[in-house]
Formats: sequence, structure tokens, C-alpha cells
Amino acid sequence: MSDDVIDAETLDPDFKFEIAKQAGGENMKLCFQCGTCSGTCPVRAINDKYNPRRIIRMALLGMRKEVLCSDFIWLCSTCYACHERCPQNVRIPELMMAIRNIAIREGNIHPVYTSYVTTLDGHGRLLEVGEFENEKRIKLGLPGIKEEAARVRKLFDHTKIREKAAGKQADEKACKTEGS
Amino acid sequence: MNADKPPAPAGEEGAGTAPAPKAHKSDKIGAVAVVGGGIAGTQAAIDLAESGFKVYLIERSPSLGGAMAQLDKTFPTNDCAMCILAPKLVEAGRHQNITLITNAEVAEVEGVPGAFWVTVKKRPRLVDESKCTGCGICTQRCPVEVPDEFNKGLKLRKAIYVKYPQAVPPTHIIDQEHCIGCGICQKQCEAGAINYAEKDTILDLEVGSIILAPGFQEFDPGPKKEYGYGVFPNVVTSLDLERMLVAVGPYGGMVLRPSDGKVPKKIAFIQCVGSRDRDINERYCSAVCCMFAVKEAIIAQEHMPGLKPYIFFMDLRAFGKEFDDYYIRAEEEHGIKFILWKVSNIEQVEPSKNLKIVYEDWEGNLKKEEFDMVVLSVGMRPPKDMEALAHRLKIDLNNYGFCKTPMFAPVETSRPGIYVCGAFVVPQDIPDSVAQASGAAARAASGISAARGKLVTVKSYPEEKEVADEEPRIGVFVCQCGINIGGVVDVPAVEAYAKTLPGVVHAEYNIYTCSFDTQSIIKERIREHRLNRVVVASCTPRTHGPLFMNTVREAGLNPYLFEMANIREHCSWVHSTVPAEATEKAKELVRMAAAKARLLRPLRPISIPIVKSGLVIGGGITGLNAALGLAEQGFDAYLVEKESELGGLTKRIYFDLSGEDVHGYMTGLIEKVRSHPRIKVFTGARLKSFSGYLGNFKTTVAHDGKEEELSHGVVIVATGGDPLKTEEYSYGKHPGIMTVLELEGKLARQEIDVSGRKTFVMIQCVGSREKGRTYCSRVCCTETIKNALRIKQLNPKAAIFILAKDMRTYGFREDWFRKARDEGIVFIRFDNASKPAVSVEGGQIAVTVKDRVVGKSLKIKPDYLALAVATVPPPDNLELAKLLKVPLSKDRFFLEAHMKLRPLDFASEGIFLAGLAHSPKFIEECVFQANGAVSRACTILSRDRFEGEGITSQVDEEKCTGCRTCEFVCPYGAVKVDPAKTKAVVAEVLCKGCGTCSAGCPKRAITMRQFTNEQILSQVDCLSGG
Repeated sequence: MSDDVIDAETLDPDFKFEIAKQAGGENMKLCFQCGTCSGTCPVRAINDKYNPRRIIRMALLGMRKEVLCSDFIWLCSTCYACHERCPQNVRIPELMMAIRNIAIREGNIHPVYTSYVTTLDGHGRLLEVGEFENEKRIKLGLPGIKEEAARVRKLFDHTKIREKAAGKQADEKACKTEGS
Repeated sequence: MNADKPPAPAGEEGAGTAPAPKAHKSDKIGAVAVVGGGIAGTQAAIDLAESGFKVYLIERSPSLGGAMAQLDKTFPTNDCAMCILAPKLVEAGRHQNITLITNAEVAEVEGVPGAFWVTVKKRPRLVDESKCTGCGICTQRCPVEVPDEFNKGLKLRKAIYVKYPQAVPPTHIIDQEHCIGCGICQKQCEAGAINYAEKDTILDLEVGSIILAPGFQEFDPGPKKEYGYGVFPNVVTSLDLERMLVAVGPYGGMVLRPSDGKVPKKIAFIQCVGSRDRDINERYCSAVCCMFAVKEAIIAQEHMPGLKPYIFFMDLRAFGKEFDDYYIRAEEEHGIKFILWKVSNIEQVEPSKNLKIVYEDWEGNLKKEEFDMVVLSVGMRPPKDMEALAHRLKIDLNNYGFCKTPMFAPVETSRPGIYVCGAFVVPQDIPDSVAQASGAAARAASGISAARGKLVTVKSYPEEKEVADEEPRIGVFVCQCGINIGGVVDVPAVEAYAKTLPGVVHAEYNIYTCSFDTQSIIKERIREHRLNRVVVASCTPRTHGPLFMNTVREAGLNPYLFEMANIREHCSWVHSTVPAEATEKAKELVRMAAAKARLLRPLRPISIPIVKSGLVIGGGITGLNAALGLAEQGFDAYLVEKESELGGLTKRIYFDLSGEDVHGYMTGLIEKVRSHPRIKVFTGARLKSFSGYLGNFKTTVAHDGKEEELSHGVVIVATGGDPLKTEEYSYGKHPGIMTVLELEGKLARQEIDVSGRKTFVMIQCVGSREKGRTYCSRVCCTETIKNALRIKQLNPKAAIFILAKDMRTYGFREDWFRKARDEGIVFIRFDNASKPAVSVEGGQIAVTVKDRVVGKSLKIKPDYLALAVATVPPPDNLELAKLLKVPLSKDRFFLEAHMKLRPLDFASEGIFLAGLAHSPKFIEECVFQANGAVSRACTILSRDRFEGEGITSQVDEEKCTGCRTCEFVCPYGAVKVDPAKTKAVVAEVLCKGCGTCSAGCPKRAITMRQFTNEQILSQVDCLSGG
């Protein structure tokens, strides 16, 4: 089969229902491909790899592997512009979250997210605050910040996020499908 | 207008106690109240008035016309809206049996079907309706200017104004909110019509039925900030653009940018603004916007050559009769660009105030376009304040605020005796509104048919004087029309000139020749001066021709001894800058009119008896409803069906999305028809011969080996449609490939195994929207979804792909499309250039279709493939059309007299059509068309005699050689050559006086009365100084 033809037997017709059961993905099936989201998205405007309309279409058709293994589902900046305008209330940022959550369960995660988890684990915050930053703060009359990672680490212990972020929960399915 | 009202029982006004029902004089009242004076309300009113009922036509605004009066042109014929609307409004305005109640609203309705009390509150105009002639002096002199709502605020009007120039009634109104009370209008009004003291009036009407036709209101896109309406000056709505396109609109017919008055070069239309949207009130489709955007793009380009319109759409819903042809022409001939994209937001570019739109093209590339102007195609909402009225009237509304109607009785409301039609039922276009209005009229009449004729006045006239042998004695009345004529033409000079003309024994001028008191003056003069010809020099005959003819008749003269000279539209209005020349022209026009008047002869229209029965051809749901409708109104009906069983296509409809039981309904309907004493049913029957004309048809029906001749007054053609027999997409090559109807049947009989992981592919538009059959079959998108949802109901795990060119689930059917998507049904779009490829390989169906969003083709191996084949007219239509001498459209459906305003009439009088015979449609649409055809038929059957026109053609048999030219050119089938005599014979009752035969006759053997060669040439002679 040529590159341009997808054999429907490789598609997963249950994927859209799986997404619908995931919090945030309930309305995906309502999408009627109008293009509002793609037209509004500031990320799409600079990088056409992230095309929300196409991502939703792929998910609707059942291209499970392509969607879950991709890096484009991680590019949504959750600006909510599409959410404001979608005529079918698909709630795209939340949908992207839902797909990401399914992806993580399959052992797929974008390295940037892994580094977020690592940073949070190490510093209790996404942006490190070190001596340099605190000096500047005090000069401006702001109180210094003491990094406190303990609480965050407790949450991480409880939710097993480190394993998920490292992709260790995966058992090698999803990305490794037969043929192509 | 105030009906006698019995005294209110004591305690009626008190709160808490239910008021005692008011007593009625008779048990069924032969009157109907029509609420709403737009095109639908007007049509219903005219049908009823023509069928022997008294009608009260109640309109909220100061004049009739509704939204249609605001349009420039109408799709798909590009007719001028006002040109086709105004004659209906004028007819309603002056109909004997119609009482207009304008500037009024219904407050309460009490009573039961057949006997209602309708309380109407009429707000004061401060202008006396019986005196105002609409001359307009007051408007000219009024010092106050405010934005004009009719022109969407793009133009100003005065505080005293008429709704629009061609308004019926032309009565002016004072806007009390802005009037400053200066008193100028009262001083200027020559008719003394201003009355500052007028108060609210309460009217109590006794009626038997009520029809609601309140129309709709435009969706206001202001709150959708992303489109910038109201903030960006060059963003307008479709109705704003429509007003710009109108020649008498704010920009004189030019499309101009509101920001700087410049001519736009590129203009974008954005579809679905306020429709198919997520807000719970905006989920439905407004059905007409696709078509009106295409229309506006075409017309805007016509007005502004070089204009480049772009239409951004999601689905282009051109589902009506010949609408797809219009769409194709727009793209191919007019170069209008159609872009599949929902525009999400608009940015304004400074300082030009242009508008930037971002979209993705077919390949997925992001594009930015800058436009000079953007038009928002806004949806239709229920009319203003209708919810409160519906609540008071106890009418149920659907969740969108439109009127709820039952599927098999689409003009009924939840309250018996109150009917409904038009946009208030569902957003719909003019032809559907008009047909439905006739449908509502039939149902409203049906319940009160026993009271037909009871409340209508039959006009009686004095005996006509014999004047044919007298010397002509002409009276000329020259009208000043306030300042409309008098301000340009020297009317006294014209009067003086008229006196010098041969044959003129009296001339005078009036301020308003059309006013009520002037009619009395004219009659007095006729008596005084023994006038036997009357000439009125005033406006166009279109406005007051019938009025003056009526006055002349009331004075005992034959009404055809009357001639008009148009010194307003043809003179003062177009030559207002050159008064001296205008006066000379006016004199010339009067001279011509007088010259013709000398040669006028009395004409007596023929009247023929009507056979009070109807022939219904076709025994499906449409024919059955038509026959029953006629019978229930007291007329005999003959129903002829070619198959051995009644029911037509409904035999193959097993379930409906609404959950209604189609077969159960049909069984009941067939039983009603077969058992009705007035209906005679012929099955397995065919028409053998057909002859006659309006009111007097003779048809021979062959059935059971014998032939029977039927005499009837009207014909209703309801011959239905068939599913196309196709070979496309490997139909016939695999048992799993079937049509939509076949799939429905198999699902109903549980012959389809939907268990497990069954995959279905459904391909739309099979045989529709192609070369050779360009039309849309209208119902298939919805019917396919119906099957798909049924399959999902049986097995949610079934995989279903629907492949379509556009999804045309219009109106409230959009909700089913949404449900289908929610159930996980996948929709893939294709077009004629990229049709799905179907093959059968080793006993397996394979479907390959390209998905443009993903940019790859999908190869699916479904267990079942359903094809939505076109609905085609039965091949018998050709033969039937020849037999009845009625035309077929290019798609071989029957062709009506006028696509917009006479969808159920043939041009040949007395013959009507309904249902699929007209074009593909849904069950509810078939039913209201059937009702509508009944109403149209009853305008004839309700009379004992039918009077024709006086202006008809006549044949000089000596000159006639029987060449049949007249027969070929007559659009009404009114003249035929009698083969026995080889001479043309005119069926005068059908002749409309168009003159085509007279123009075509090579022997000058056939001439038009009232427009004979002698008469016309005498007018021409006047021009050359004769």
C-alpha cells in the first residue's frame, strides 16, 4: 500500500470513544471540521505541525498510534482561544490534555514535560529560584523565595508521576505497531 | 370593524376567577384571523378571501410586506422582490373580503375552534387611515430625522413617514417617540388626515379559525465580538447588504464601504453566523443563508462590476428546486470563490479599515486575505416577543422558540383551531412559506367550511347603461396627487387643455383623484354630464386602475369604458427637473388617452359554471392528503393511482427520526380516504384522455378493463418520485451494496447483521449533483443519518463512515447531524473531482476515499455499502405533461407558474401540483404542499361561477387560416385551433389579455380587446400631431 493510502484495518474505531471517556475529551466527536480552531491557534500560525483540526481528524479516524506517539499533541499552549470560538464546544485544550493523559499511559511523553517533572521534583517549582534571582528580588524590595520541594515531592510519590514521566509504565505497545 | 360584543359577565375582570366564556351567535364563524402580514400571512389571507371567507389580516408594523419587502432580489430566479410581492399586497389591501388591521397586535384569544374571540390592540398612528392618501407632503416637510429601521439604520427617515415607498397601506405614521409636536404635518396635509389625539383602539374579532404567520427576526451578531459587528464599520450583515442593493435604498443600489463610501473590490461572506453554533439557542441551521449569500454575491457583482466575492462556508445548503444550478453558475459563470472554512474571527487593518481573514486552503496551507468589506450571513430567530404571545395563546414552542408542529399536520399548533405557517415554524425560504401558507389556509377553512360565504359581502352594481351607440362623451379627471404631480406638472393647464380635445365634454382636476370623496365626485359628474367615457390622468394603473374601474361601474357604466394616463411615474416623477416639458408631455399623454377612449367598447367578461369536484392524480401521501382535503371542504374528489395499492413511496419508509409511525399514519389516512363518501378511488388506473379548461375538465380513466369519464373542476398533480436505478459504485455486484431505502427496509425487517465489528460505508449524492442531473435530492443526507443512528442504536460498536459532498441537514435536522457525530459516526467530504472508488475484490467490498484534512486516502473494507441514490421524476411525467398540456422543468419535474410565489399552481388555470411531483422533499413538506394545493383549488371550487377578464382576445374567423401560431405562443393554453373548423377558438375564461397571440398572428385575425390596432394606432397618431 502506498504512503498515501491508509488501510482502514490499521485504524482503531474505538479510539474516539476512549478519548470521550477521558476527562476533557467528551465533546471531541462533535467536531465537524470547520477549521475555526486552526484559524485561531497562535501556535498553528507559526508552526503548522500543530494543527488542531488535523489532530482531531486523525483521532476521529482512529489513527491511534500516530496521535499518541506524536509530539504535536504536546504543542498546545492552552491559550484557550480555540475554546472561546469553537462552534461545537469541543473544548480543545482540555481535549489535548485528555489525549496526553492517554499517551502517557502508553508510555509516550514529550521530553519537555519530562524535564518539567524533573524540575518540579528538584525545586518544587517550574522556574528555579537561586541566589542570583533572590538578590535581584531584594534589590527591588521584594521578599526572597525559598524553594520548598517537599510538598510537591509528596504529591509525586502519591501519584507515581516520576514513573509516568519517565515512560516506565509503558509495556511497549502503541508506538510499536505492525507494519505501517 | 368592532363586532357586536355581548356584555361581560360580572366578575370577568377580577383576578383569580376564570372568566365565563363569551357567548357566540352562531356555532361556526366564517371568518379567519391571520396574524402577520408578510408574504406567508398575505398568501393565506388571499387564499381564504378567494374561497369565501372573511379575513382579518393583522400586522404589527404600519404596513404589510414583512421581510420580503426589504429584499432586493430573490433566489434562484433573481426576480425583483418588490415587483413580485407588491401585486399580492395590493390584492390583499383592496380585497373585498380582507380587512387590514395594521399597527396592531393580538392581545388575547378565547374560545374554541369554529368560534374564537380575538382581542386586538391597535396602536395609534396619529394619521387617519381613511383619509391619508400616502402623498408624502408631510414627510417632506417634517423637520425631524432619525435612523430608519427598515433600512437597517443606514438611512434616515422623518418622524412622520411611510414604512417604505410601495407600502400597503400607504398610510403614514407618526413616530411618537421622536415627534417634536411642531404641527407642520397637520398644516401641510391637504387631506386633513393628521389626528394628534388618536388613542389605542381595542378590537374584538369573531372568527372561526386563526392562522399565525409572524415571521422571524434577524440574528444580531453584535454580541459575537470576534466578528466586530457594530465596531468595525465595514462589517455588515446580509440584510444590511440587501438594503444597499435596493435601488431606493441608502446607497441607491451601490455597494459602498460604510467607513469611507469607497467601492469595495473584494468582499467576504461568512456563513453560519448565529447558526450551527454551540449556544443552545443557535444550534439549528437557518436553511436560507447559503442561498441568499450566493444571491447577494451575484447581485452585488452585477451592481458593481469587477467586485470579487468570496464565500466562506461549512456546507453549502442549496437543496431546493434548481438551487444547485444557481450555485454552479455562481462559481463557474460569475467567478465567485467558495472557500470551505468557518471564519473564526476578523481583524481590522488600520488605517484602511479593511478586514483581515485567516483561513486554511484545500492543501492545509494557512492563508491571509484582506477584504474591503465583510458580510455576516446571520441566521433567523423566532420573531420578537413571540414567546410571551405563544404563552398567552397556549401555543407550544420547541426548544428554539419556534412553533411546534406535528409531523403529519405541519400547519397545526398545539391549540386546535389555531394554525401556523412561514418562518415561525422553521427558518424556510419564500416558496416553502407560500406553499405552507396555502396549507394553513386549507386547514383553517376545513373546520369552518360549513360557514363558507356567510360573512362575505357580494358587491352589487346598478344596471349598466347602454352607451355603445352614443357619441363619445369623455370626462377627464387630472390628479395633482398632492405635490407628486402638481409640484412639477401645471395641472390646471392640463385640465384646460383637456377641455379642447375632441369628444371631451368635461374636465376637472382633483388634489387626490383616488381619495374616497373624489369617487363620489366622479360618479356625480358622470350623471351630471351624461359621460360615457372616463379618463383619469394620475398614477400607474397598478395602484388605482381597479379602483377607478369600480367607481365607473358603480355609476352604471361598463368598467372598460375607462382609460388611464400615467402622468406620475411616466412624467412628473421622472421629469421633475424640467416642469415645462413635463407639462407638455402630460398634455400629450392625456391627448393619447382621450383618443383611445373615443374608440373604447364595453366589454363583458364571460362567466362559466364550475364543476365542484377535483381530480387528484397520484395516491401517495400527497395525493391522499389532497383528496381528503378537498372532501373535507365539501367537494367531491377522484383519486387516480397507477399502482394497485395506495401509499406511494411511504410503503418503503419504516421508521422516522422523529419516532413517528409512518405506516400507522398511512393506514389511517388510507382508511379515511377510502371510507369518505365524497372520494372515489381508482387504483391500477391510468388517464386515457384529458380535455377542457378551468372549472370544466373532462378526463377518461382506464381501470379494471373499462373506461370511465369524469367531470371535474380542478386537477391536482401528485405523481411522486422514484429512487434512481443506478449501476454506479458497483451496485449489483455484491449483496452488501444497496440503496438507502433498501437498507432501511432490511433494517426494519432485521435482515442486516449489525453485530460485532460491522463496518458500514454510506455514499451520498449518487446520481445527484452531477452533470446531467445537477439537482440535490434534498432528503438523503437526513435519511442516511436516520439509518446510521438506527444501526448505532442496535450496536454502538458498529463503525459507520458517511461520505458526502455537503451535509444538507437543514433547519432543525441539524440536531440529528450533531447526534450522529456524537455517536461516533465519521463524516468524510468528497467532491465530483475526487469521488470515492468502489470495487468488489474476492467477495469483499473496498471503498477508497481521500480525506483532505489528513491528506491521505482511506481504504475501507465495509460489510455493507449504502448508496443514497437520487430521487427522480417518474418517466410517466412526460406523457402526463403532454396529456394535461403542462410544462416540465429541465429536470423533468413539473414546472410551476412561478418558482417563488406560485409554487403549487401551473400557469394553466385550474391545475395544481404538490409533493415530489414538484421536487424531492420530506413527508411534512409533502403534507403541507398537499394542503396548499387544496387551498388553491378551493379558490375555484368554492365559487358557483368563475368570471374571466374583460380584456381577452377575439378571433375574426374570416381572416383566420388556422395556422396555429396563436396556439403555440399562448402561455395559458387559452387559444386552440378547432380542427373541425380550422379556426382559432379562444377560451375566454383562461385568456389573460397578454396580447402575445395578437402580436404573433400573421393575418391580423386575432386581436386584443381594449388594445385593438385601431385603438393603439390612434394613440400613435396623437404623437405625430394627429
